[in-house]
Amino acid sequence: MSLINQANIIILIPARNEAESIHEVILDIRDHFNGEILVINDASTDQTAQIAEQLGAKVLNLPLQLGAWGAMQAGLRYALKHGFEIAITMDADGQHQAESLLDLQMPILANETDVVIGAFPQRGSTARVFAWHLFRLLSGISQEDLTSGFRAYNQQAIKLLASPEATLLDYQDLGVLLLLHTEGLRIQEIPVEMRPRTLGKSRIFSSWWAVANYMFYTLILCIAKGFFKSPFISRRRFS
Amino acid sequence: MISTQIITAILGLILATTIIVLIRRDHLHTRHALWWLMLAMGIFILGFFPIIIDKIGFWLNIKYPPTLLFILGLSMLLLKVLSLDIQQSSQEQQLRRLIQKIAILETELKQYQNHEHK
Repeated sequence: MSLINQANIIILIPARNEAESIHEVILDIRDHFNGEILVINDASTDQTAQIAEQLGAKVLNLPLQLGAWGAMQAGLRYALKHGFEIAITMDADGQHQAESLLDLQMPILANETDVVIGAFPQRGSTARVFAWHLFRLLSGISQEDLTSGFRAYNQQAIKLLASPEATLLDYQDLGVLLLLHTEGLRIQEIPVEMRPRTLGKSRIFSSWWAVANYMFYTLILCIAKGFFKSPFISRRRFS
Repeated sequence: MISTQIITAILGLILATTIIVLIRRDHLHTRHALWWLMLAMGIFILGFFPIIIDKIGFWLNIKYPPTLLFILGLSMLLLKVLSLDIQQSSQEQQLRRLIQKIAILETELKQYQNHEHK
């Protein structure tokens, strides 16, 4: 695939102690994209920031750990401040494949939607699938893949998610979707392939206690912010 | 009965003094003083005139008036704790945004310096 020369696009990668995988992630992106890559270093204690910088990525160093979403929002605020038109978010653990980058931008460039989610709903255990069903039901959100961090946002979405209103969220998942949903932004899902996580583990699903915590947090979000809202989000069916 | 009244009133006075001392030593922000001084005053007054509680209890048709005291005290504490959590959330929000801003400014500064050197 040829390089895409798009100066108005920024790729945001929040990373905390991802020294083992960040190298490959950035090289993979460089094969498909020659715009700006911003690694948000969430107070890592390893070489994540140095490795990213050596590979030519720009690095935001958070002086204190903010968690996955706090780091992501820092990147979105940078994108907003510097006038980028599209922000694409990727995980630092190598799950997301850069060859899908173009697919992710296309619906926004064609102004078909405000947010594109690279979805891979096949992943996840039975328990997780059940939890997602429950959350969809409660929140009135129709997306298949609620937790995918592989997303593209247009300027309108960036503006909304960079606002103080979104600051107290903890993950880039249902809370973010609910906010976009409430503000009437269009969300589209496109199917993408994802690699199994080879190095490191999920920030959310690290232990049973963490899972329980996450489930409770999401449940509260659903009830407080999404109950009884009708789904009106456009959605491309999975074939 | 008199001794209970005096002890409660003294408790109110001690609380009020503690608040003033804490503010004096910069351990407590002035804006929190109002709540605590009012509480101290409440303890002082109710300590000296427990009849007030009895009167209100009777008026509200509560059979055992001290219950009223407990309900009032607990609700005040609940309100205070809830307001603390609300305040803490708003500070958390401000802190997060500040951290984000520092990171952005630092990166911009570095960029600017690199540019200058070239």
